[in-house]
Amino acid sequence: MKKISIFALIGSLFVSAFAYANEVNIFNARHYKADAELYSKFTNKTGIKVNLINGKSGALEKRIISEGKDSSADLYITADAGRCGAMDAKGTLQGGLSSEAIKAAVPSTFRTNKWVGIAKRARIVYYSPERVSGAELSGLTYESLADPKWKGRLVIRKSSNIYNKSLVASLIKNNGKKATAEWAKGVVSNMARTPTGNDRAQIMAVAAGEADIAVANTYYLALMLSGKKGAEQQAAAKKVKAFFPNQNDRGTHMNISCAALVKGAPNKKNAIKLVEFLLTPESQEHFTNNTFEFPMIDGVSPSPLVVNNLGLDFKQDMKTKLASYGKNQAAAVEVMTAAGWK
Amino acid sequence: MFRFFNLWFISSLLVSIFVIIPIFTVFTSFFENTSDYYELLKNTFLIEYITNSLILLIFVLIITFLIGTGTAYVVSFYTFPFCNFFKWAIILSFAVPPYIYAYSLTAFFENYGTAFTILKNLFGDGDYNKNIPKFDGMLGAILSISFSLFAYVYILTRASFLYQSQNLIELGKNLGFSKFRSFYKIILPSARPAIVAGLSLVAMETLAEFGAVDFFSINTLTTGIYNSWIAFDDLAFANRISFFLLLFIFALFLLENLSRRNAKYHLNVRSGFKRKEKIKLSRNKSYLAFTFCFLVFFLSFLFPLTQMLYWTIKFPENLFDLNIFILLKNTLYLVSLSSFVLILFSLLSNYGNRVSKSKTLNFMSTLSISGYAIPGVILAIAFITFIAWFDESIVKLLGFTSIKKIFIGSILGLVLVYFVRFYSLAFNGIKSGYEKINISVDESAYLLGYSKRKTFMNIHVPFLRNSLLFIVILISLEIIRELPITLILRPFNFETFATTAYISASEDLLEAAAVPALFLILIASSFILVTSKYILREINE
Repeated sequence: MKKISIFALIGSLFVSAFAYANEVNIFNARHYKADAELYSKFTNKTGIKVNLINGKSGALEKRIISEGKDSSADLYITADAGRCGAMDAKGTLQGGLSSEAIKAAVPSTFRTNKWVGIAKRARIVYYSPERVSGAELSGLTYESLADPKWKGRLVIRKSSNIYNKSLVASLIKNNGKKATAEWAKGVVSNMARTPTGNDRAQIMAVAAGEADIAVANTYYLALMLSGKKGAEQQAAAKKVKAFFPNQNDRGTHMNISCAALVKGAPNKKNAIKLVEFLLTPESQEHFTNNTFEFPMIDGVSPSPLVVNNLGLDFKQDMKTKLASYGKNQAAAVEVMTAAGWK
Repeated sequence: MFRFFNLWFISSLLVSIFVIIPIFTVFTSFFENTSDYYELLKNTFLIEYITNSLILLIFVLIITFLIGTGTAYVVSFYTFPFCNFFKWAIILSFAVPPYIYAYSLTAFFENYGTAFTILKNLFGDGDYNKNIPKFDGMLGAILSISFSLFAYVYILTRASFLYQSQNLIELGKNLGFSKFRSFYKIILPSARPAIVAGLSLVAMETLAEFGAVDFFSINTLTTGIYNSWIAFDDLAFANRISFFLLLFIFALFLLENLSRRNAKYHLNVRSGFKRKEKIKLSRNKSYLAFTFCFLVFFLSFLFPLTQMLYWTIKFPENLFDLNIFILLKNTLYLVSLSSFVLILFSLLSNYGNRVSKSKTLNFMSTLSISGYAIPGVILAIAFITFIAWFDESIVKLLGFTSIKKIFIGSILGLVLVYFVRFYSLAFNGIKSGYEKINISVDESAYLLGYSKRKTFMNIHVPFLRNSLLFIVILISLEIIRELPITLILRPFNFETFATTAYISASEDLLEAAAVPALFLILIASSFILVTSKYILREINE
């Protein structure tokens, strides 16, 4: 018994030493080099040490949930609002990301008081200008991707991909589950191949002539055009053009990379400071130039590669609350699976 | 004396309990509420998982069998150019984990990938993408796993072929068999236990495979458990899938045990055989043998190595972004700490079995080696779930401070779960070493007045030294390549080559994954190179 209490004592010392240091602990599912650079900037500026545990979102979420109140996690940073929303639904987040700085920087569509968007991306359509005419494209919406005229011409990722889950969740929010179930069946019958590969692979499939249109996120094309993926992919990217769907109604489907405040965060204040730092123009510029995402705040321009090749004047869907992505995620998976979307 | 026995007993008991905890956790659903999502779709999912696992398993087994026994046969019985080089070079494929093989396949064959670049440089601009075969999805997973694991079959089969020596070939000749017929009718059946043992190792690793299967997003039983547990919080369904997975594994265990029983029978016969010179192949046939071995060596090792090297050179900025020394330090730290703990406890446990001859102890040891059959992902999650439950319902109830931070996200937790996963490697390795020390050696030592402890330290340990070295290498290779456990349980700011490669790859930064992958291959290769002679000899003995 004596031994156990000594053990507990040592344990508690260990724990308290952990909790009182001037630091912030991030469970990080975004692994861009640019992010790490921003975190060290933050440390230099504030003296707050940033501790990272990198991993896939699912495993990180599980760990936060299992650790419960004792979790050392302060912030959970991940790509896709659907993930932050789902974490919220599990009761693992807390309010507090509602400082004036945050509210002023981020439009209300892209935040709750528990999670906040730190960068934006749109999920859009890429097409081959050689094989797809302007007339065919005119007025294209996500809904019309189910149109039989695209039979055998469309590529898109697997249904297990979170970007697709969120896209379909937004369709359920706007059109209802029944209509979206029909839509998913149409999309599946239009697919040029069984879904495989990441977003970039979809764009390259269009460049290589495997398909005529692809659904993928905006930053991938800019990434390929930047030459960071090599000369071949740069050349391939030039064979593909971007199209922003739903310009005549609610606007193009938007998503975010989000930072969520974990319940029981031992360094809540530091966490909020870090989020505010990520929303400064300096950090936002760093994001846009390195990850090719859209800035979360006004007054910062996207990377020239994005502006020149994708354009800036498109209507974003500001109507559909991003919180609905998490809420409708289960229904989205159900709808896609039922349609035979691999 | 009595106290001494108890020490062995208690340590064996602890080890067994510890290993059983995760299995227990997987099967008990009282820790969490389960969801009722997709009730209707679950059966569809289940069928898909089982089918995919079966397809994966069957094709991997066929390919590893063909390559593993083929190379072992050629290398064991014939001389041809570079045959002594291939003898150990083929084992280098162990240095390439399936997930890195998967990255290489994708990098080379994808649209506008390396194959495209090569064709473009050779023949100028052209529309090559349509003519480049695509190795992704199930096909990619099968190839990645096969080329990474066939060495299990190669090593064990080759060892068994060496016992048989040339006598079997002569027997075939005397019977008027062709080379193929004597291979098919005599050599192969007599090596069957070794082949089955090798294949069952391959099968277990295939069922447990996470990295490559996840990369190609194939839904197998293992990724199915992971997804239904992690993504949907559906523990009941995860348990249902686990049940099927364990059924598979149980069948494999049985097979493997049966083959072991036969292996002993064969071992006794070997003294009757004499070693003879290998047969020199005719010119054409020796070219054929060379081509076959080179092809296997190229595809399993040189191809992924050069692809990673090519990327490292093509995108050199990634080389400077990485603190290789820290990654190396972390990797070696985990390797040495885990090897030490594993060897210590398996020595204790084996010695306990030897001196006590207790049936209970024996049974517990058998139980505690089952960890190897459970996929790492599942062990890691089960560990977290168990610690969380234990902490909430026992530790806190007794008024102690939470123990979660001591076990979750700490080196301690990481090493504990490695321990469960790799205990059978260490335990079985030492056991086979012990089997070579006749029990009369112990008795002589006692007669000389040695205590049990002294017998152990001064006689057993020196005798076992070679086995221990071999086990350290095996454990090291496993831990260098290990992915899911490290990924889920490691502390803050702690990366290894494997986690760095995986994380870059999962973010669509395959080029950045190349640098850590390259180093991982190089380090694992150097481990193999240093001890290759030893690996081959140890199995032969």
